[in-house]
Amino acid sequence: MKEFAVFWGCTIQTRFPFIEKSTRTVLEAFGLPYRDIDGFTCCPEKSLVNNIDHAAFVLTAARNVALVDELGYDLVSPCTGCVSNLATVSCELKANPKEKDSVNGMLKEVGREFTGKAKLHHLVPFFHDTVGLLAIKQKMKRDFSGMKIALHYGCHMIRPSHALRNDDPLNPQKFDNLIRAMGAESLQFLTKLMCCGQGLDRIDEHDRALHFARIKLRELKSIGADALVLCCPSCFLQFDNNQFLMEKEGERFGIPVIYFTELLGLSMGYTAEELGMTSHRVDCEPFIKKWESLANKPSREAAIEEGLSGPNLLS
Amino acid sequence: MLEATLNMKLLEMCSKCGACFSICPSCMHIPGYDPREVIKDILDGNHEKWLTSKHIWQCLECHHCLEICYQHYGFENAMTALRTIAARKGVHPAQVKRGWEMFVKTSRLGEPALPARKKFGLPEPKASGAEEFKKLMALLKERRGHKGE
Repeated sequence: MKEFAVFWGCTIQTRFPFIEKSTRTVLEAFGLPYRDIDGFTCCPEKSLVNNIDHAAFVLTAARNVALVDELGYDLVSPCTGCVSNLATVSCELKANPKEKDSVNGMLKEVGREFTGKAKLHHLVPFFHDTVGLLAIKQKMKRDFSGMKIALHYGCHMIRPSHALRNDDPLNPQKFDNLIRAMGAESLQFLTKLMCCGQGLDRIDEHDRALHFARIKLRELKSIGADALVLCCPSCFLQFDNNQFLMEKEGERFGIPVIYFTELLGLSMGYTAEELGMTSHRVDCEPFIKKWESLANKPSREAAIEEGLSGPNLLS
Repeated sequence: MLEATLNMKLLEMCSKCGACFSICPSCMHIPGYDPREVIKDILDGNHEKWLTSKHIWQCLECHHCLEICYQHYGFENAMTALRTIAARKGVHPAQVKRGWEMFVKTSRLGEPALPARKKFGLPEPKASGAEEFKKLMALLKERRGHKGE
């Protein structure tokens, strides 16, 4: 497997270091050739930087990709926003040689060059395509049979599709496949692909951001989801932090929000504490408790086996 | 200025379609948010009235409109153009300015949380690219000066 640089991004390193913890834990456990490299800046964040200055957006992202290009690595990120922004710019420059030349003219002044050779992956499709479901199953100590999981892809894991090219942008399957490979049921529900709405918190519309979170959380509660699983720090902020704020105001949903790397880590035998899950604002204990209680129940196969091999009153 | 960033021919098709309206989360959940109105005004030469509207900032950039658009163009292009003009005129949510200033000053939107890194046994954060970034931003400004933008 090709070496790859991990692009952590600002949000994970600033607000959620425990996500970095669980990500490193699983990358280590799979023995994947990941590297930390010097010199990354903000990806940059599209809704902020691109709205104000498109050229600064392109130049900053091109420089980040150039760092990885030079080393001959690929790039993997546990942040959907970062991957989507880097891929969007990379795709734009590859399609516009004139713009690429102009950007490289500036990058040359600081000794860099954008070639766009580096493949840019989000962690979830990377696990699906490059690590593979079989390797994941082999590493697992216990699966999630009997657990009902609601997935939230996060818009920028799969869109814009012309830049990311990793799944069907309107009917994605890879995250579902991973959850099913881990033995859980991936619930299908109306608001599954609905945007989390965290962007509203960045334009001073907190109440509306809460409302967007509420729409999905309400549905999850009504269909009996044991957890919401996602792999984006911005969506995590929306569903963990904002759910907590609503709970403080008396509106209780009780839906644990679990990062993909945490779920994977649990199945490999790491404890919630080792994975940093005790730092979440919404308690993950109900999910862990239910999962533990299922472990103590004899399996369906065991009961049938016992019936077949036990006393036979007719013979 | 709008003509420079938007493809009016494609937007004319948009004005007769509206597929994005059926899939856009803001259209579904924010009263009064309607791409069809915005596109109509842009085509009629009345985009100005949207510059002060909070609706242009309520586009979540989820790219659903882009994906369902049979032109793969998307309403989001219109919203991005309007936001850029509004920001240049200084009409934007306060938080946007704070974020932009932090980005330009530090090259990031926040610094690694060091005490928490220690608690989780995470390695020292790698060196930042802030110096190079600042040089590039200065260079960008300089080149614009030459072009008289």
